[in-house]
Amino acid sequence: MNDSAMRPLRPARNWALILGTLLGVTMMTVWSARGIGFSLTELACNLPGGSRLLVESWPPEFSYFPRLLAPLLETLQIAVVGTVIGGILAVPVAVLAARNLTPGVLVWFLDRNVMNVLRTLPDLFWAMLFAAAVGFGPVAGALALTVFTIAVISKLWSESLEAIDMGVPEAVRAAGGSWLAMLQFGAIPQALPHYVSYALYAFELNVRASMILGLVGAGGIGMVLETQRSTFEYPRVTLIVLSVLVIVLVIEQISEAIRRRLA
Amino acid sequence: MSTKAALRPPPGVGWATQVTLGVAIVFLLCAWAIDLTPGALANLPQQMVTVLGFFYPADMSYGASRVLPALIESIQIAWIGTIIAALLSLPLALLGARTLFPRIARLVKLISATARAFPEILLAIYFVPIVGLGPFAGALAIGISSVGMLTKLGAEVVESIDMGPVEAVQAAGGSRLLALRYAVVPQVLPEIVAHWLFRFELNIRASAVLGVVGAGGVGGVLLNTLRYRHFEKAAAVLLLTILVVLIIDVASGAIRRRLLR
Repeated sequence: MNDSAMRPLRPARNWALILGTLLGVTMMTVWSARGIGFSLTELACNLPGGSRLLVESWPPEFSYFPRLLAPLLETLQIAVVGTVIGGILAVPVAVLAARNLTPGVLVWFLDRNVMNVLRTLPDLFWAMLFAAAVGFGPVAGALALTVFTIAVISKLWSESLEAIDMGVPEAVRAAGGSWLAMLQFGAIPQALPHYVSYALYAFELNVRASMILGLVGAGGIGMVLETQRSTFEYPRVTLIVLSVLVIVLVIEQISEAIRRRLA
Repeated sequence: MSTKAALRPPPGVGWATQVTLGVAIVFLLCAWAIDLTPGALANLPQQMVTVLGFFYPADMSYGASRVLPALIESIQIAWIGTIIAALLSLPLALLGARTLFPRIARLVKLISATARAFPEILLAIYFVPIVGLGPFAGALAIGISSVGMLTKLGAEVVESIDMGPVEAVQAAGGSRLLALRYAVVPQVLPEIVAHWLFRFELNIRASAVLGVVGAGGVGGVLLNTLRYRHFEKAAAVLLLTILVVLIIDVASGAIRRRLLR
């Protein structure tokens, strides 16, 4: 008796919330599973045929590799062009979206919300749009990555710009400097290492994305992947996937090493 | 005068200038290689305005009849993929925590790093022939590729917990399983569920593009409308996608903030 008085009260559980959440998640899951035709019997029936394809797709057809070199190089070129143009355009977009630096609340509001809307569309949608607008090929891919890069860098960097020490920019203003001078000498130098780091990060994402842009006709290795995939040349598909993975991993390692040194 | 000059850093080509020059040269070479000429760039804004004109007005009857069902399918793909990944990654996250299972953690982290390296769409290329064209292949691809990231983030959450309760359970004679149930899971669950929700937001975007390789969802619809240059229909796809993704982002973000509070 005395013991129970000493013990702290067991926290009450909100059973309504727990049951409601479980019920909601279960219903959503059942609804989704039915909607997409999730069936284990179908999986079991298809598995023998599918595993034959998996067996066929190994070993990769290494003799095909020389023909991949040019498209792989083109893929990297798309990523570089997209990152550089996007990285330059992201600077004004990020500055205007930083609350402490923006010249007007209206500009800030518009910039922020337009970018939020742009960010909802996946990179491959941009590739399809630009392929329709400027024609199939690497230029469409580079433009798609440009938009994607602006979206990534401006979001991350505007947050770093908001976190800078405002003393220096205010000093520039107090000394009679213009808004641009304030940016150039007061604000941007403080956040420059962040910018370089985010630009490298965007490059990593772009290399990864550029590998699949070709699936919708936006140039690079993805276009080869699409033709080999649609003719079920899976030994070649495996070779392409492996070379893409190696390149992505190597570039990520290099870029991460540089970013760690910057931080 | 002379002392001032001595104090100043010597003028010359700095590190930043060299990097900028290098990047500029590589950029120009790449732009030249993919035929991106200054003329083409100058023409671009006008070209974009012309093309944008084709998108107006959006064909909303097409949106209601074809795009909404495809978007719902994308959401369902993302949901099932996230559920698969959540179920698989919870035990893996516990096993991947250095602080709890020092020996297995290394292996689990290696597996999760490999799973993270595959973009969903490359996995879908393999799942489509295995389980057949359609959304099920997409859900599996998204599920498998999300496991890697969720395991990594989950393991980091588990590693950051207060080990006191774990030691208390074990000191009171509880087994390792009981320690996980009563000391670890209650500490990590809110943050891990927040990661699941964040991954769901990412998976909505990922599932939207999977239609490109025939794995269901709204991506295939957009590809077809643009291929046949039905720009009004494509506009409906874009508008509805933006709307649905924004709504889900806002709702999921609100829940995540409450969970982490």
